[in-house]
Amino acid sequence: MSQYMAAIWKCRYFWLSLVQMDLRSRYRRSLLGLGWSLLHPIAMTAVLCQVFPRIFHNVDVRTYAPMVLVGLCFWSFVTSCTLLGSQCLFQGERYIRQFPAPMAIYPLRIVLGSSFHFAMALLVVLALRFGFIGFSGIPSFISLIPTFILMFILGWSLAVLSGFVTAYFPDMQHLAEVGLQILFYATPIIYPANTIDGKLGWMINCNPLTSFIGLLRSPLLNGEFPSVSHYVAAVISTTIIAGAATTTLVRLQKKIIFQL
Amino acid sequence: MTSIDLKDVSLFFRVRQNRRIALKDFIVNQMFRKSVNPYMEVRALSNVNLTIRQGDRLGIVGHNGAGKSTLLKLLAGVYPPTGGKRIVNGQVSSLFDLQLGFEPEASGWENIAYRGYLQGETPKTIKTKLQDIAEFSELGEFLNNPVRHYSSGMLVRLAFSVASAIDPEILLVDEVLSAGDLAFQKKCRERMEEMIAKAHLIVMVSHDLESLSEFCNRAIWLDHGRIRRAGSTDAVIAEYTDAMGGALPKAA
Repeated sequence: MSQYMAAIWKCRYFWLSLVQMDLRSRYRRSLLGLGWSLLHPIAMTAVLCQVFPRIFHNVDVRTYAPMVLVGLCFWSFVTSCTLLGSQCLFQGERYIRQFPAPMAIYPLRIVLGSSFHFAMALLVVLALRFGFIGFSGIPSFISLIPTFILMFILGWSLAVLSGFVTAYFPDMQHLAEVGLQILFYATPIIYPANTIDGKLGWMINCNPLTSFIGLLRSPLLNGEFPSVSHYVAAVISTTIIAGAATTTLVRLQKKIIFQL
Repeated sequence: MTSIDLKDVSLFFRVRQNRRIALKDFIVNQMFRKSVNPYMEVRALSNVNLTIRQGDRLGIVGHNGAGKSTLLKLLAGVYPPTGGKRIVNGQVSSLFDLQLGFEPEASGWENIAYRGYLQGETPKTIKTKLQDIAEFSELGEFLNNPVRHYSSGMLVRLAFSVASAIDPEILLVDEVLSAGDLAFQKKCRERMEEMIAKAHLIVMVSHDLESLSEFCNRAIWLDHGRIRRAGSTDAVIAEYTDAMGGALPKAA
């Protein structure tokens, strides 16, 4: 494992420059530049803030807007790791066929790009938070550090899994889109986690992504440290997904070239 | 000490006879009815035993599809052996599939850096070589453009210029002596001669038998993934040429 990580570190200039290129080419194409990638969550938040208070009269836009934006930022991170990750090995094929670099660097390229976008969106969340809610509870922000580490491992693992599955089955991306659409409504992104109870509420609580939303919202919106149960659930789910990704890498990374 | 040892190495892999299979087809076909797109086994290399030591310049000959390029990629670590053992001591540098490995949207300069990093360069070391690489490629102003605008000849020039800017321990070469136009081929040859003089060990694949006998001191003849003959370059080439000549249809 440590040898593998050392091999990834050894070609750091390569994958870092690819990430840099991905970001540059994405922003170069649009007049809005960096703003373009933030447009989607912001526009979606604006629309939801118009719709939800009309349907549910007890919704306060000042707390609802930052809450939705946190959820959408996280969701956008998960979907880009999964969907862009599904193409990562095809994208890296030109290098895979020439250089025996560790296969994990291609999903890493995706998760680093997605992390950058997430970080940018988080700045907008912070602006909304400070504007609408104020500056209270800032010390709890320190709890975001382990959350970001867990998110990074989760994103990297999702990109590994979707990249390898797509190399074998090209329709994986389409199926993932359908699955993610269902998961979107089963995750408390556009509604608070505690609004739904009964059977459906139990399902939402079992969703591993719910704990991540809790880990982000507690400090960012309420200025509170997240509950231990959220940490435990996030660590367990990340460990399972990372375990699956590691097993996939160990078993398939040498053979995957025959599928490209 | 730089060396390569292949002990009873085989490379078999399975590919689908037609296109890759969709997940939904896989579930339906594999579970409920007989597959209409079965696997086909490819025996690319079979029981290859090879020892190459420092100072060796090994040439590989064989017909198209004999497994020459596959063997080279296996030596480079791109393909894993599915049987036997591959032991390589030394830093491997490869010159093959020169037109691959470019980011189409990035400029020539950026692509020089990307390929350099993959070859083990750092921003510091690549900076010192950048000008030499650019001059050797003779691409001038084109280096500022995205490489998707390059012709295939220009891509080969760029790739060869980067790949040959290093001092290799083990050099693996596949048909690059015919890179670019005539003037560039001459430069390539000179650069290759310099690299060959510096490299500890070379394995070269080419259909240009004259070049092989000029550059190599040993040769093997690969036939359907097996070593059919190994020995001195001249002896192997003579036998291979005889066999190929014998296979040619006689004029009426």
